[in-house]
Amino acid sequence: MQKTSANALIPTSHLLGSGTATCSGCGALADIRLFYEILGEKTIFVNAAGCMTLLTVYPFTPFRGSWIYTAMASAPAGAQGVRDALDLLLAKGRLGKEEDLQVVVLTGDGSAYGMGLSSTSGAMERGLDFIYICYDNEGYGNTGHQFSAATPHGASTATSRGMTGFPGYKKDLFSIWAAHNPTYLATVSGADPLDMVRKIKKAKDLRGPRMFIALAPCPTGWHFDASQTVKIGKLAVQTGIWPLKEYVNGKVEHTRIVTKKRPVDEYLKMQGRFSHLFEPRRNEKVLDEIQTRVNDYWKNVEEGE
Amino acid sequence: MFRIRFHGRGGQGMKTASRILGSAFFLEGYETQDAPRYGAERRGAPMFAYVRAAKTTIFERGIILRPDLVVVADESLLLLQSAGVLADLAEHSLLLISSSHSPEELQKKLGMVRPLLTLSMPVPKDIFTSHPPQSSACAAAAAQLLGLSLQSVRQALHMELSGLSDEKMAENEETANSAFLQMEPHRGRVGEQPETGSVSEDRPSWIILPFEDARISSPAIHGEATSLLMDTGSWRSLKPFIHKEQCSRCDLCHTYCPEGAISFDNDGYPCIDYKHCKGCLICLVQCPLHAIEAVQEDGSFHNNKQGDDQCDNS
Ligand SMILES: Cc1ncc(C[n+]2csc(CCOP(=O)(O)OP(=O)(O)O)c2C)c(N)n1
Ligand code: SF4
Ligand code: SF4
Ligand code: SF4
Ligand SMILES: [Mg+2]
Repeated sequence: MQKTSANALIPTSHLLGSGTATCSGCGALADIRLFYEILGEKTIFVNAAGCMTLLTVYPFTPFRGSWIYTAMASAPAGAQGVRDALDLLLAKGRLGKEEDLQVVVLTGDGSAYGMGLSSTSGAMERGLDFIYICYDNEGYGNTGHQFSAATPHGASTATSRGMTGFPGYKKDLFSIWAAHNPTYLATVSGADPLDMVRKIKKAKDLRGPRMFIALAPCPTGWHFDASQTVKIGKLAVQTGIWPLKEYVNGKVEHTRIVTKKRPVDEYLKMQGRFSHLFEPRRNEKVLDEIQTRVNDYWKNVEEGE
Repeated sequence: MFRIRFHGRGGQGMKTASRILGSAFFLEGYETQDAPRYGAERRGAPMFAYVRAAKTTIFERGIILRPDLVVVADESLLLLQSAGVLADLAEHSLLLISSSHSPEELQKKLGMVRPLLTLSMPVPKDIFTSHPPQSSACAAAAAQLLGLSLQSVRQALHMELSGLSDEKMAENEETANSAFLQMEPHRGRVGEQPETGSVSEDRPSWIILPFEDARISSPAIHGEATSLLMDTGSWRSLKPFIHKEQCSRCDLCHTYCPEGAISFDNDGYPCIDYKHCKGCLICLVQCPLHAIEAVQEDGSFHNNKQGDDQCDNS
């Protein structure tokens, strides 16, 4: 057992095993580590294809509880099957109450924002009792970082080259999910562990669909040095690009309001996927657009709250 | 035909090095193949890339078995059997290792008799850069050993690194020039070898497994946290070292370590599990008191016997 620090900010039990195959400095791994600390081993992770399926490579797993693998589009459907099976076994008395498991869907943004959106919609509609963790690295990480519906405007990906990068805009998954009126919904970031731990604890004790979108800075796909993951995660919040918020009882609340926001440049400049916006010369048009969209978002928030 | 293998860790630029060298060959009229080979594309994990070049059609495919030249981005990889640097070497294979040691020193350190060359690299301006000029240096040094011209290397650099800023491009060019010059005394030392064809290769030995019921044949893991058996510490080229005397036990390094590789000793000081720490150096960047230093990995990747692991309460 690990010793705890007197000043421990987060639990120190190291429940999720080290030694997995994720990249050095992986932001998604940091997110999942924290989720696992709070949710514990009495869980079953239903994991759609993506980088995090490499956590478990036979015969190695970092999990102490259960984990199963599903196709990219169908993790919430898999979760329904698992939940139903558990409920049946509980009803028949073949499982004791203390043996019940928390069903947790784990997918990337490729699944959550795209291929898996329909099965997620269905699961929320049926009020499935589960937790959904979408770790958002803003692209198809596992296959070489092609763009996904979560890729931000202007970023270069394996399939968005050229001087202006990805022409599309990041889909507003939070609003799409919120429109289903789930029990709980929040955005989180591993670079703000206190906010994250509070939200996970809150969701753990509720029933019904509990949805998370976790920012997952990705050194490999975003092109930055592995040591900068947390710095970039913090800048995402400090620039206003990644709003930390939650949706409870039909209301959206921002859990961190940054009064003096940093310019988006500071966040973008640190990542190779945006370097074409700065070199060989600044692309004022795209940079202005990104900044304006962030400003508009927060203006709406202020007016609405 | 020339057969060259590059070894590095994901992020050290050896894939790019293979592409630069491949393009340099191409510019001099060769047919070329250049391709990276990863376990899974993982930053920090050992990987290799290879280049074949010939003035005639190349029929060989797949990984290189008898390399003429093996370029190694980081000497710590030689100590790591799983990196496969020394695998399938032929008698004539020449090793070129990026290292601050002289060839003799390195031979002694590694207990190796095989001929090798070392390439000394300038300390990068920023150890946290995501575009290390190492790829340009390794490609340029290899080109010199293979008898290619500096002009082709420079042209290949511009083809392969076109997205870089002028400043980074200049740094890459400068590094390439000096690496090319360093290898001047050995110009053309690596010669061509004949194409062997598949007849010379060993036949694979097959094991036929009977068809099993899904309950047996589908992979199920019953142990918990078996990933702890994996030594991901071997991914590091730089190693974080905590100076306790500077540490306030604030807990931030532990909080942010994605690997869960930091725990606490009996006095509440953080200590690092070197068997699993991948060397991302997030802890170093996040430590408010600069109590963590990055030291060159010396090859003793694990919690070794000399109490190298700072957690001594196991
Ligand atoms: C239906 C289907 N299409 C394509 C793939 C190939 N594939 C495996 S992982 C992956 C990327 C998934 O992206 P995301 O969900 O964002 O996860 P990440 O890899 O970024 O962790 C793709 C396209 C697949 N497994 N299934
Ligand atoms: S590609 Fe990105 S998300 Fe995937 S393991 Fe690497 S750092 Fe993590
Ligand atoms: S370098 Fe630091 S943060 Fe990164 S894995 Fe090692 S101990 Fe953890
Ligand atoms: S972050 Fe620095 S000061 Fe804080 S516990 Fe870690 S080493 Fe000590
Ligand atoms: Mg993704």
